[in-house]
Amino acid sequence: MTNEILLEMKNISKSFPGVKALDNVSLKVRRGSVHALMGENGAGKSTLMKCLFGIYSKDTGKILLDGKEVSFKNPKEALESGVAMVHQELNQALKRNVMDNIWLGRYPRSFGFVTSEKRMYKDTKKIFDELDIKVDPRTLMSKMSVADRQMVEIAKAVSYHSKIIVLDEPTSSLTEQEVEHLFSIINMLRDRGCGIIYISHKMEEILRISDDITVMRDGAHIVTEPAKNFTMDRIIKLMVGRELGARFPENDAKIGEVVLEVRGLSSRHNAVDDVSFKVRRGEIVGLAGLAGAGRTEVIENIFGISERKAGKIFLHGREVKNRNAREAIKNGFALLTEERRSTGIFGILDLRENTTVSSLRKYRGLLGLISEGKRRKDTSWAMETMRVKAPSQRTKIRALSGGNQQKVILGRWLLTEPEVLMLDEPTRGIDVGAKFEIYKLIVELAKKGKAVIMVSGELPELLGVCNRICVMSGGRLVGEVDAKNTSQEEIMRLAAENA
Amino acid sequence: MTAIRKYREMSRTQRKEWMRELIINNSLYVFLIAAVVVIQFISPNFLSGPSIVNIISLSAANLPIALGIAGAIILTGTDLSAGRIVGLVACVSASLLQASGYPAKMFPNLPTMNFLLVFLIALAIGGIIGLINGFCTAKFNLHPFIVTLSTQLIVYGGLLMYLNIGNNNGQSISGLDPSYTSFITGSFISLGSTPIPNYVWYSLVITAIMWFVWNKTTFGKNMFAVGSNQEAANVSGVNVKRVIVLVFGLAGIMYGITGFIEAARIGSNSAATGLNYELDAIAAAVIGGVSFVGGIGKIRGVILGVVLLRLIFVGLTFLSIDANMQYIIKGLIILVACAIDMRKYLVRK
Amino acid sequence: MFKKIMALCLACVMLSLSLASCGKRGEADVHVFYYTYSDTYISSVRSSLDKALDGAKISYQDYDGNGNQTTQTEQIQTAITKGAKLILVNIVNTGSDDAANGIVSLAKEKGIPVVFFNREVSDAVIKSYDKCAYIGTRAEEAGKLQGEMIGEYLRDNFEKVDLNGDGKISYIMFKGEEGNNEAIYRTQYSVEEANKILSAAGREKLSFYDKSNPNKYLVDRNGQWSAAAANEYMTTALTSYNEQNKNMIELVICNNDGMAQGAITALNSVGYNTGEGKMIPVFGVDATTAAQELIKGKKMAGTIKQDAEGMAEALRLVAENGLAGRSLVTGTEKYDVDSDVAKIRIAYSKYLG
Repeated sequence: MTNEILLEMKNISKSFPGVKALDNVSLKVRRGSVHALMGENGAGKSTLMKCLFGIYSKDTGKILLDGKEVSFKNPKEALESGVAMVHQELNQALKRNVMDNIWLGRYPRSFGFVTSEKRMYKDTKKIFDELDIKVDPRTLMSKMSVADRQMVEIAKAVSYHSKIIVLDEPTSSLTEQEVEHLFSIINMLRDRGCGIIYISHKMEEILRISDDITVMRDGAHIVTEPAKNFTMDRIIKLMVGRELGARFPENDAKIGEVVLEVRGLSSRHNAVDDVSFKVRRGEIVGLAGLAGAGRTEVIENIFGISERKAGKIFLHGREVKNRNAREAIKNGFALLTEERRSTGIFGILDLRENTTVSSLRKYRGLLGLISEGKRRKDTSWAMETMRVKAPSQRTKIRALSGGNQQKVILGRWLLTEPEVLMLDEPTRGIDVGAKFEIYKLIVELAKKGKAVIMVSGELPELLGVCNRICVMSGGRLVGEVDAKNTSQEEIMRLAAENA
Repeated sequence: MTAIRKYREMSRTQRKEWMRELIINNSLYVFLIAAVVVIQFISPNFLSGPSIVNIISLSAANLPIALGIAGAIILTGTDLSAGRIVGLVACVSASLLQASGYPAKMFPNLPTMNFLLVFLIALAIGGIIGLINGFCTAKFNLHPFIVTLSTQLIVYGGLLMYLNIGNNNGQSISGLDPSYTSFITGSFISLGSTPIPNYVWYSLVITAIMWFVWNKTTFGKNMFAVGSNQEAANVSGVNVKRVIVLVFGLAGIMYGITGFIEAARIGSNSAATGLNYELDAIAAAVIGGVSFVGGIGKIRGVILGVVLLRLIFVGLTFLSIDANMQYIIKGLIILVACAIDMRKYLVRK
Repeated sequence: MFKKIMALCLACVMLSLSLASCGKRGEADVHVFYYTYSDTYISSVRSSLDKALDGAKISYQDYDGNGNQTTQTEQIQTAITKGAKLILVNIVNTGSDDAANGIVSLAKEKGIPVVFFNREVSDAVIKSYDKCAYIGTRAEEAGKLQGEMIGEYLRDNFEKVDLNGDGKISYIMFKGEEGNNEAIYRTQYSVEEANKILSAAGREKLSFYDKSNPNKYLVDRNGQWSAAAANEYMTTALTSYNEQNKNMIELVICNNDGMAQGAITALNSVGYNTGEGKMIPVFGVDATTAAQELIKGKKMAGTIKQDAEGMAEALRLVAENGLAGRSLVTGTEKYDVDSDVAKIRIAYSKYLG
C-alpha cells in the first residue's frame, strides 16, 4: 500500500549556541506534488533541509520517509535512500565530463574493477532522453552553461531513483527559456510520483509551479496551504511578518545632463559587439536580456576588467580609457559585481577592511602609514548611510546576511565617490525585505546625482526601479524602452526576437 | 569586566565548555608554558640568563626569513627558494667582507669594503631574486610553488658557481672582517652577565617595520585583500600583480637580511648554508596561524611560531632527547597547531 | 606573442649554456661522479683532479650527485650509454653494497673500468669485478689520528685544559651525519685513541659533558656536517655548561673542520678562542684552508689533513692505467695498497700548524 504522504518531518527542533534555529517545525510532502518552501534568509529553510540530509543532527523530532522512520547520517546516505538535493551552488567536478559527474562514486563496472564507459554513456543517454535534456554525456562540465549543469544535477537525482528531490533556488541563474525547460522537467517528475521540495524567492514562479506552499519565519512553521489559496502579497506578508508597502520605492530623481556615453563598444574575448548608449545624471538605466546576451560583459568592459577591441567611453564629454579597474575607479566608475561571494567580498576580513579596500589611498598619512581613525569614521559613515546591520566594524563580513554584505559593498563604492555606478544583479540571493532596502539605496544614489547602470535578470525589478531599459541580445543592443511605458512581454520579445 | 560578568552568569556546564574552548584556542601558549615548566623542572639551567639569551638570539636569527615567507603564504603561495637565497647572500656577503690579509681570501685584491655597503648589496641580491619570483608568479599566472621550485635550483647552481670563482675552489668562506662580525655578533647590552648579540636588535627593528608594513600601509592591506580574494581585489581596484611582485620582493629582502646575519653568526659559509631554512620558516609561520587558506596571518603569530620552534630545539637539547625524536615532535606540533588553528575557521555544526 | 619571445629567449640561453659547458671538451672519456658539490673537501679534490686530468690531456666530465644516490645512479647510466670509457665514482650511499653493486654491474656490461673514491665500498664489491678499484683513506685512520693528536695535546697541556681542576676533561662531540662510516669511525676512534694515551699517562678518561645523553655525540640532523648545526648546538650547550657553573666544556671534537668552525664561532661569542686569552681546544678533520688559518691564529688546536692533491694524483694514475687497458693498480707501489684487494690508501696526516 502506498502512502499519500511521501515525506514527513515532524516537530523538528535544532539549536545552536545562543540561537534556536528551528522550533518545532513540521513539513509534509505529498506524493506527486511540488511543495514550495518559502521564507526570508535565516527563516530556517536551509537548516531544515540540512537536518533532513544529516548535515546537522536534529535535537528533537522525527523524519518519516514513505511511512518509515529514517535518520540519515550524511547526504550520501540520503541520496541512496532516494532523497536528493540540487544545490544553489552546484558542487560539481568541473574538469570532468557529464557522465563522470552523474556516476561519481558508483561507476558501473565490468569484471568487478574496470569502469565501463559504454554503460555509463548508455545509461546517461537514457535518462537525458527521458528528461528531454539535450546534452552530450561526454561534454566537459566546465564548458556548459549553469542551466545545463543544473539539469545534469537533476538527472543525477533521477538516476538514483529519487523519490524526494529538493531544489534550492534552481532558477537564480537561468534565463526564461531555461526556466520553462526546468518546469517541464519538474512537471514530468511530479507526474511520475516524485515529491519536489522547491525553495525559491521568486514569487511568480512559486505560484506557477507549486501545489502546496509552506511559509517559515524565524525558525518556526507559519502556514502550509494549497498554492491556490495564496497571492503574492499574502506570501510576502507571511514571510516578513508585517505588511509590506510597495515592492519598489518611488523613483523621483531629477535627471540632468549626460554623464556617460559609450560609443561602439566591442570586446576582444567575449560577445560585446558595437554597443552604444548614454546615461544621464540621476538616471537609472537597466540592461536586460537573456543569459549570455552580454549584459555583464558590457559593464565589465566599461570598467576595464575585460579587454576592449574597439569603442570609446566619454565621461562628461571627455574620453576616458579605463584600461583596468584601478584606472576606472580613478575616473569615477564603480562596479558591484554579479558574484558577490567570489568577486565581491573578502570573506575572512572584517567590515572596515571590506568597506575601505577601494579607497585606501585616502587614508595615507605620514610616511604612507594608514590612519585608522579616519578609516573608522568613514566606515561608520558608510555603514550608517547604507543602513548595514552588524555588531561592529570588526565583524567578519561572511558572518553577515547577503543583503547586509551587498550594502557593505555599496558602501565601499560610495567611499570612492563615483559618478557612474554599475550594479550587476544587485539583489541576487537577497531576502524580500532586504531587496526593498537595496532598491531604496539605489534610488537615493540616483537622487544624489549618480548615473546608475543596473543589470538584472529579473525584469520586474528593472521595471520597478529604472528610468530606461536597454535590451541586449547576442552581445548587441537591440532595443531601448521607457520603463514607465513598457511591459515584461515587450522586453522579452525584443530579447528573444533578435537572439 | 564584561568577561567576568559573563563568566559569573554562566552555568556550570557552560563554564566547563568555556574553559575547554579557551584552552584549546590558546593551546599553543598552554603548550609553550607547559613545555617551559617541564624542561625547567628537569634541567634547572633552562631559564638561566644565558639560556634565555640563547633562545632569543636563535629566534632572532630565524625571524626575518619567517616574516618574509609569511607574506608569500598570506597570498596562498609559498616560497621554496628562501633557504637557497639565504645561502647565496651569506656566501656573497662573506666573500666581500673577508679580513684583508686573510691568506685564503676569495678575492685577494679586494680592499676592505664597508659592511653597510655590502649590507645593501645583500638586500639587493635577495630583493632582485624575490622580484623575479614575484614577476613570474604574477605575469605567467604560475603557482609560486612551481616558480620558487625553479628559482631555488637556479640560485643553488649560481651559488655553486660563485664558490668556485676567485681562488676559492669551492671551499667554505670564512676569515671575516672584525668590523663585520662585531657589527652582527658584538654586543652593547647584556642581560646580567650574558651579552645580547646585536643582531637581536636588528631583528627587532625589522619585525617592527614589518608590523607597520602589514598593518599600516596600503600595500599591507592590499596584500591581505589579494590573499583573501584575488578576484574581488582586482575588481576593487587593487593592482594585484604589483602586490604579488612586491610581496615576493619584500620576502627576498628579508632573506637577504637573514643571509647577511647568518654569514657572520656562523662564520663559515658553504653551499650547504641555508639548506632547508625555508621549511623551518614555513613551519614557524604556519604554527603561528598564518594560513595557507590565504589572507590570514599576524606578525605576533609568526614570532610565536619561530620562538616555539627554537624552544623545542633548545629544550630537547637540554633534555638530551635523541635527535630523531626532534623530527617526530616537530612534526606533531606543526600538525596539531594547524589543526587547532583551522578549527577557528570551520563552521561549527 | 610575449610568451613566445620569452620561450625563444629561454631556449637560446639554455642552448648556449649547455654548449658552453660541454663544447670545449667534446665527448669525454672519463666521467667523474661526485657525491655532492657542496662538500668543501670534495670541492678541493675536484679542482685538483680537474687540473691533473687537464695536465694528462685526458678528456673528462664532472657530475654533481647532490647527495642523492638515485640521481647519481641515473647519471652513471646515462654516461655509460653515452660512451664513457672509464668512470670515477664518489658514491653517495655507503651504508650498504646495493648501490655500488648496481654501478659495477652497469660498467661490467660494457666492460669499462670503475674506480670508487673517497667514500668507501666493501671489499666484496671491488672483488666482484676485475676492472674495479677503490682509492681512499682508511676510514678509521682519520679518527685514530685525531684521537692520537687529542691524546698527545691533552697529555702535554692537561692542567691548562682542565679548567675546573677536577682531574677530568669534559668534551663535546659533533657528528656529521648518521649512518656514514667515516662519521661513525671518527666519532668512535677519536675518543678511544685519546683515552688510550690519557690512561698511559695516568690520567682519567674523557667524559662527555652531558651525562644524560647516552649517544655521547650531537649530530647534524640534516646530515650536512654543517657549521650552522654545530654552532647552534654549541651556543645552546654553553648556556648551561660554562665556567660560572664550573662545568665548562673543556674540549671540542668535530667530525670535520666545518663543524669545528661553527663551534669556534659559538665560543667566540662568549669570549673564548679569539686568539688571545682562553682557548678551548677544538679539533677537526680535513685541514681546509679556513681551518689552517684558525690554527695559525691560535683559535683552533688541530686538524687531520686529508690529502686532496694526493688523492687526485692517484686517481689520475689509475685512470691512465684504465684507459690504456693495463691493470688498474699498475705503478701504485708508492701507495699503501691493501694486500688482498685493489684498495689504494692515501695517508692522512696530523696538522697542528
